[in-house]
Amino acid sequence: MIVIKNSRLRRVLRIVIPFVIAPLFVIAGTYLFEPKRQAFVALAIAILACVLFIAGFEHKKTGSRRLIITSIFVALSVIGRFIPFFKPTTALTIIAGVYLGGEAGFLTGAFSALISNFYFGQGPWTPFQMLAWGMIGFFAGVFSKFFIKSRFALIIYGVIAGCVFSVIMDVWTVLWYSGTFSKELFLAAVVAALPHTALYSVSNVIFLFLIARPMGEKLTRIKTKYGV
Amino acid sequence: MKGNETFERNNPASVFVYYICVVAPVMFTMNPVIITLSLVGSVFSSFIGQERIGVRFHIYMLILFAIMTAANPIFYHNGETVLFVMNDNPITLEATIYGTVSAAAVISVLYRSRSFTLYMTSDRLLYLFSILSSKAALILTMALRYAPLYARHARRVADAQRAAGLYKERNMIDDIVGGGRVFSATATWALEYGIVTAASMEARGYGVGRRTRYSPYAFKHADIVLTATSLLLLAVIITAGAGGSFDFTFYPRIVAPPATVLTSAAYTAYGILSFLPAILTVIEVVRWKYLMQKI
Repeated sequence: MIVIKNSRLRRVLRIVIPFVIAPLFVIAGTYLFEPKRQAFVALAIAILACVLFIAGFEHKKTGSRRLIITSIFVALSVIGRFIPFFKPTTALTIIAGVYLGGEAGFLTGAFSALISNFYFGQGPWTPFQMLAWGMIGFFAGVFSKFFIKSRFALIIYGVIAGCVFSVIMDVWTVLWYSGTFSKELFLAAVVAALPHTALYSVSNVIFLFLIARPMGEKLTRIKTKYGV
Repeated sequence: MKGNETFERNNPASVFVYYICVVAPVMFTMNPVIITLSLVGSVFSSFIGQERIGVRFHIYMLILFAIMTAANPIFYHNGETVLFVMNDNPITLEATIYGTVSAAAVISVLYRSRSFTLYMTSDRLLYLFSILSSKAALILTMALRYAPLYARHARRVADAQRAAGLYKERNMIDDIVGGGRVFSATATWALEYGIVTAASMEARGYGVGRRTRYSPYAFKHADIVLTATSLLLLAVIITAGAGGSFDFTFYPRIVAPPATVLTSAAYTAYGILSFLPAILTVIEVVRWKYLMQKI
């Protein structure tokens, strides 16, 4: 699934972002501004990483069916975020990654964060949520063979994904609040977010346990029936 | 009147640039003057600008401000002016001020984010994404259209199942199993429906030949002015910041940077940038009154 169609733009982005723009931001953040504001650099790098991911996708077979199924998953996980307490958003992102590939997983995670934040509020945290959810979906795609074989591994991945998402957001909270990374504040943030982390992990386990198999069967059926 | 109408006639790209320019200085400096300007400007703009921000948001922000101000002196004990001692830990003036400035920075960005969320409706965001990639914009549009559709369909499935006599009593296991059943039915329907959409798109020639694109937003004079003003003001601030004339030391003792021409220029520039939505609203009101007088 090639998202950025212009191949020259894609190639330029793939080279310029990691080798020119990102180092530039790091150097500027270290030397030009007050060294205390690492939050700005972190934010810029998060946005660049999202763009880099999107620019990096290259899948020869780019059918409109795969595109539509990805947007179906985005829509389902956006609705899922409105369910109180137990949210299937991460679980659906993981399923999209496992059965449709890493690109679809990344796009599902990143776009469901973007769209649901129309309701939950956009802000400088949006790029971090996009990156965190996107990477959860991407790595689900990378290890998909493993996860299709063993449901236990998939559920363990769900627990890890819940924790990792929470920790990434805690790092951002600390960076944003105090400008620089501090161990005490980070520990305080992790402890304060502990109920959320537990809730994320538990709902990932529940939803992966309940819907991973049936969704997989549905997707496999659609794939064999229509040849996605 | 709904949402944020300050930039209603502007191109989303130029408004996006403005918001980045106004938030960026707050993210990379801890200078109290800049942060105070940012806080006052964002709160003031939320009152005078035509934004719909509820009272609850203001109260919530006030509570958050108090908590974040208190958090820093409790965890940090640097600084040489001890105010009082709590549980054998000194609470210092410097750490309290640092906490206040940090909290003000976060709150002002939250206010900007709120007004940005009100401005950036889905059609405007789609326009921004279509600049980067038309396929990403397609996925976004589809998802935006599908989300309410699926919610409605899921409700319909649930109603049908209830009418058929399922889950009459409230118990948790039943609710979860029922929810799973509704989800499964909705997902199957969604996938089938999506394939139909894809087939009909292909039949109409999607992905064949060159893409053309329609955009409802033109880049007008006002947008050039807005973009140029934002970038110019940001450039002044960055020039001053890069020279180190913002550097404000909190620990161990508060040391303010000397006031130079460059610093005052940067403060003025950020003041204009921060109050820009309010200024634009006032200009609009004055022009309206003036035109009304002529009639």
